[in-house]
Amino acid sequence: MVRHTRYVLLLPGLVTFVFFLIAPLAIMAVMSFFTPVWPGYRTDLTLNNYVAYLTSPQFRILAFNTFSTSLVTAFICMIIGFPFAYCYTFKIKSERTRNYITMLLLAPFLIDWTIRSVAWISILGERGFVNSMFLSAGLISEPIKFLFTPTALFIIWVQTNLLFMIFPMNLALGRMDPEVIEAAKVLKAPPYRVFYDIVFKMALPGVICGFIFVFVNTISDYVTPSLWAGGLQTLGLSVSNYASQFLWPQASAGGMILLVACIIVLYILLKVVDIKKLVYE
Amino acid sequence: MIEVKDLVKYYKEVLALNKISFEVNEGEFFVVIGPSGCGKTTLMKILAGVLEYNSGEVYINGKNMKGVPPHKRDISLMFESYAIFPHMKVFDNIAFGLRMMGKDKDFIKRKVTEVLELVGMSGFENRSPYELSGGQRQRLALARALVVEPPVLLLDEPISHLDYQLQRKMMEDFKVLHKKTGGTFVFTTHVQEQALTLADTVMVMNKGVIEQTGKPREIYLAPKTVFAARFVGDINLIPGEVVSKDGDIYIVNTEIGELKSLANGELPAGAKLAYGIRPEFVEVENKTRVHDNQLKGKFDRFYYFGNYVECIFDIKGKVEVKSAVPTKKAVDLRIGKEYSLGWNSNNAALLEKPSVIEGLNIEEVIYGK
Repeated sequence: MVRHTRYVLLLPGLVTFVFFLIAPLAIMAVMSFFTPVWPGYRTDLTLNNYVAYLTSPQFRILAFNTFSTSLVTAFICMIIGFPFAYCYTFKIKSERTRNYITMLLLAPFLIDWTIRSVAWISILGERGFVNSMFLSAGLISEPIKFLFTPTALFIIWVQTNLLFMIFPMNLALGRMDPEVIEAAKVLKAPPYRVFYDIVFKMALPGVICGFIFVFVNTISDYVTPSLWAGGLQTLGLSVSNYASQFLWPQASAGGMILLVACIIVLYILLKVVDIKKLVYE
Repeated sequence: MIEVKDLVKYYKEVLALNKISFEVNEGEFFVVIGPSGCGKTTLMKILAGVLEYNSGEVYINGKNMKGVPPHKRDISLMFESYAIFPHMKVFDNIAFGLRMMGKDKDFIKRKVTEVLELVGMSGFENRSPYELSGGQRQRLALARALVVEPPVLLLDEPISHLDYQLQRKMMEDFKVLHKKTGGTFVFTTHVQEQALTLADTVMVMNKGVIEQTGKPREIYLAPKTVFAARFVGDINLIPGEVVSKDGDIYIVNTEIGELKSLANGELPAGAKLAYGIRPEFVEVENKTRVHDNQLKGKFDRFYYFGNYVECIFDIKGKVEVKSAVPTKKAVDLRIGKEYSLGWNSNNAALLEKPSVIEGLNIEEVIYGK
């Protein structure tokens, strides 16, 4: 009896997990096979929801938009984040400076999501900060249209997700013994080989981990595209459209398709690299 | 092969190397010995080119190494921490250097197999570094440094972290390896045994300066400073003052009487110095007098070392003298009894300076005040 009491500690987490993740997912999975009747559904099982979704002419565009924007964002975050994480770990020696940088990275997250979204108007708008800077510097003669274009989506996503890329990278790089880098230099490796064969490859678990964070974060976000991307259609948006019309079976089927596609992408990423290396060894 | 001139290195305000100069000849086994923090690793990293220095000059093979990146130097370094690439298998770790040199696959495979055999790790090619013991990692690090066949091999405390048995074996291995490869080895350690056994030339370092450079025998028998004398072995040190000179023999007045020592060079009468005699030269005499230094001492206590017993004698209640007595002989000694101790003046050493570092008081250094 005593042996089992320790599992009691797991209970609150487990209950939350079951009620708020497993159960809704199960309901969604079942719902996706029900027959839609407006407004509502009949419990006759059918594959029609999936067939309709996958064969619709828009599906390809939706899927392409969804995955390309997320993957490109994750990729941009990786390109920007890696040099940052590298400098943060190896070049900045003062603990104080590091703390300030961490604070600056975290600062935007202290602001409410809604306000942060609206704030983009004053930054990227036609009379916003960026345009006024460019105009007064004489770099452009007319304001650039950032908002309501895919460019705005990338800028906003990169800004909000960069942190999730940098943290796991820092974790991976911080575990690296600087003498290993010196050893590679002594073993006749020119600088670019030191970077690729040693620094990058050893940081790969962190890079992939950050990539997954950003990918999952952006692919599940349909609000930002609907607000700022100027009518760019994504799978998430279509699911939300169905849901707002109470077409639950169609919405569920869309959700399941997105979920399965995500799992496939994550599976491939995790095959590439052993993410456990980030924590163990 | 290596020439270092007035090398200075600061870590921020801390002086790590204070104007050191030395030369290493081609094919030499050169051992740098000193306590941790004396600048050994700093020196090795500067030679390898992975660490910047503030001033001075470093020549390898006659070429000034200023601004030459590590991958363009004729050296290889085995790190104290081993610095094994954790994400690579044993084979890839060793092959790394050869791949960077652009060697072809067959050559690499042959060389890696050869070097693994040399360090006694054949069959470990596909192991991950995490599956290796400390000794195996050490040998992997050695193999990785060796395989590129460097004209100069730098070995930073390569065997200090192994257990004693393995250390002894590796010392022999290094000696054999040095003969076989004919390369120049620079080896650092803080263990006197390794330095004296392996080296053609020993350099004793202390707080960023060179205390003494010379053959192992020179440093052991004719140390120039108290620091050098102590670092390569145990020694009895008695503060004293030169009274007179009789031929080659100096007479030194100490608390426990006049002691004789053979010394080269000129010491003025009245010079304050330390009279040193290593414990193995201090013999417990039988009735016949055979040594030109003789004292009476009370057997106070002993430490058993197996092959010898370190016996500590109290001389007139003022000074303690250690003697390394062969175990066979030590069984006859009784604590509390008085014995006659003797040694020859040609085995003693006169140490004028506590260290090459200025401003130290010799008595304070000897008594650790």
